[in-house]
Amino acid sequence: MGVTCVCQVPVTEGKSVQQTVDVLHKKLEQLGAVKQGSFCVDCETYHAIGNVTGQPSKLLYVMHNSETPLSCHALFEGGPCLTADGNFDVLMLKLKSHFQNAKAHKVECRGSRYRYCDFLIKVGTVTMSSSGRGITVEVEYCPCVVPGDCWNLMKEFMQTFLGSSVPEWPSVFSTKPEGLYAPADCVDTMNQYLELFNKLRKQQVPGSNVR
Amino acid sequence: MADVMNVGVNLEAFSQAINAIQALRSSVTRVFDSLKDGMKNKETLEGTEKAFITDFQNNLQSVNRDLNELERLSGLVGRPSESHPLHNSGLLSLDPVQDKTPLYSQLLQAYKWSNKLQYHAGLASNLLNQQSLKRSANQMGASAKRRPKVQPSTLVPHPQYVDDVITRIGRMFPDMSIELFRPNGTSAVLLVSLGKVLKAIVVMRSLFIDRTIVRGFNENIYSEDGKLDIWSKSQYQVFQKVTDHATTALLHYQLPQMPDVVVRSFMTWLRSYIKLFQSPCQRCGRFLQDGLPPTWRDFRTLEAFHDTCRM
Repeated sequence: MGVTCVCQVPVTEGKSVQQTVDVLHKKLEQLGAVKQGSFCVDCETYHAIGNVTGQPSKLLYVMHNSETPLSCHALFEGGPCLTADGNFDVLMLKLKSHFQNAKAHKVECRGSRYRYCDFLIKVGTVTMSSSGRGITVEVEYCPCVVPGDCWNLMKEFMQTFLGSSVPEWPSVFSTKPEGLYAPADCVDTMNQYLELFNKLRKQQVPGSNVR
Repeated sequence: MADVMNVGVNLEAFSQAINAIQALRSSVTRVFDSLKDGMKNKETLEGTEKAFITDFQNNLQSVNRDLNELERLSGLVGRPSESHPLHNSGLLSLDPVQDKTPLYSQLLQAYKWSNKLQYHAGLASNLLNQQSLKRSANQMGASAKRRPKVQPSTLVPHPQYVDDVITRIGRMFPDMSIELFRPNGTSAVLLVSLGKVLKAIVVMRSLFIDRTIVRGFNENIYSEDGKLDIWSKSQYQVFQKVTDHATTALLHYQLPQMPDVVVRSFMTWLRSYIKLFQSPCQRCGRFLQDGLPPTWRDFRTLEAFHDTCRM
């Protein structure tokens, strides 16, 4: 409901993804954060087919977030996005002739959910076709709805456990009129995850399977 | 001096009046005496009848004269007694038998006591005002001196007056919207929305603020049945803390003589929370302490401090 920032945490040199995640968990627990279950964000990619020839086919991303388990978010590449009921997935099956599922592109992010005061912290590992690609940290400051107001505060909080790898001002914040964060449907959050997944997808797969 | 003079005049009128009463009584007695004696001493019937009637008329005339004199004097006596500082009870001093009924001295004693009591109460209330924590202490302090002058206008102001005061305050702060509800009777409940930061519900009792509760901008302020929810606290620790501080502010801003100033100062103070998430602590320079932003605002300077940094 509050302002959310999703960022990527680089894997510490000489350590595996899991070890880096463990270090993050330990830091959070030392801070006084309490573990509250787990979370999961996934993203499926669809190609739009049957377009006017000559135009590159557009991509449609269908995402789920365990924070809103009954909803389903569909984001058109560079375009509108919608939030629908969970059975939107079934509808996508019926639209097979227009949107083709790119199964290989399925991305998943799983991890633990922590609460510290009014902050919600989610540390997750991104897997893409069963190979670990990176670590995400999502920090949500629940009481505030204007990103511009609480950004410095969030940055200071993230510094306490992320050290130097604190993210820059997320671009989704700037596009909002009045600077208000889109609250209930968490579209802004999904946009940030999508951006991050796309970035990770383009990255070179590390030589060995890091998981 | 004036008092002494008054008493002198008073006494003179009194003695004259007493004399007049005596004269009246004796003249009345003469009437009845002559009536009782009748005409038995007279010899001739005609002579006795005539003499008796003249005698009777004379007697009645003297009664009439004496009565008029007494009425005139009673007018004189009545007026000076009102100007006495103790009003009619001051007349007790005229009682000559002090030993049997010492009412007047007892009365003076009681007045002295009551004066002393008032004086001491005034001193005590001054001292209490200097270090007041509770609004009740303040009210008592003010009531010792000011009650007869001010209380009637502040305790029961017209609802229209409350509306006016609130509208005027609302106009002072453009980033703050104040809505006024009267869910139960004449007591007002204000819903204050401060920018996109917080919403505060302020429960008023006439123009005194009774209690306040602060919630986040995205939190519900209505209960399920659609009424203003003035009881349940915020789910966020920040706003629970701010609610605590706002309650402290209610106790701090107390001026029973001018309740509208109190409401205005409180709103000015509350408005400083528009930068709740933006301003770092003025002492430690950081944003967060134990996961909370600086939730305290100084009552005078409105500077932001963490709860533990404000000492």
